[in-house]
Amino acid sequence: MRSGIGLPKRTQGVLKALGLRKRMKTVFYPVTPEVAGQIMKVKELVAVREVEKALSKEELKEERRPDAGYYLESAAPR
Amino acid sequence: MLSRTLRKSVLDTKLSTSTLPPTFLLPFRARCFNSTTQHIDSPPEATDATLGSSSVPSVPTSDNSAIPKANSPPTSIPTAPSVPTSRPALSDSVKELLPLLRAQPAHFVTAHIHAQPYLVTEGDIVRLPFHMPGVVPGDMLRLNRATSIGSRDYTLKGTPYLDERIFECRARVMGTEAEPMRTKEKKKRRTRKTKTVKSKHKFTILRIAELKVLPVEEIET
Repeated sequence: MRSGIGLPKRTQGVLKALGLRKRMKTVFYPVTPEVAGQIMKVKELVAVREVEKALSKEELKEERRPDAGYYLESAAPR
Repeated sequence: MLSRTLRKSVLDTKLSTSTLPPTFLLPFRARCFNSTTQHIDSPPEATDATLGSSSVPSVPTSDNSAIPKANSPPTSIPTAPSVPTSRPALSDSVKELLPLLRAQPAHFVTAHIHAQPYLVTEGDIVRLPFHMPGVVPGDMLRLNRATSIGSRDYTLKGTPYLDERIFECRARVMGTEAEPMRTKEKKKRRTRKTKTVKSKHKFTILRIAELKVLPVEEIET
């Protein structure tokens, strides 16, 4: 969530290794000791949550898209 | 504290008919504590405004309704039919105060279209800041996302959105409007290269055809 700007190069490297190149980026990883160690290194900067399955880029985008707020109730003849 | 007793006294007189009584039936305190000094259209039941003053008591509790909104599945781009799902019941305060809101005639709603709020009332013409795809003039749209609905003295706020069963808001597509042609010169430095970019956008016009608050009995069923 937070940026690594101004932090030690090592910490920035960890963020980069996790694939977190920008703020608010979401990445999915299997639960392994290696990843857990990386997360521990940057735990002040990220939010971690356990999910069932990884979402694709399109699904993530769809999740962020707000609701349209309308639907076509009766269409005029076209 | 005062408003609570006031509300209770008002409700006692009103719950039998679920409409507002004429002004002279209201308790005296209620008439004293009108928040607005402007003229208010009396509800249709109180036909003759004999007292001349405003009729509806102000109940300052615009309750933030604790209506958790069930997430409907992500809809397709322009036209999405509503999916009837089992919804949680209305909270008690909403059930209590919704008839009052319903009885006061002119309503407004903050409808959200693509997460942009539009504060509208019935008869308003809205020029959307975009061209809505897939609609033609004459289409009737149902607006089902709103953060607040209210009248002069009552406001029902959503958390963050209102339950879409509470109100019916329909908008008719009137047509499209085009802005004047815009031209912008794009010039490269130190060369003779100049490009003129033209743009002319279209905007969809909507008219709020219908806006009403539904009675509690209809919502429950």
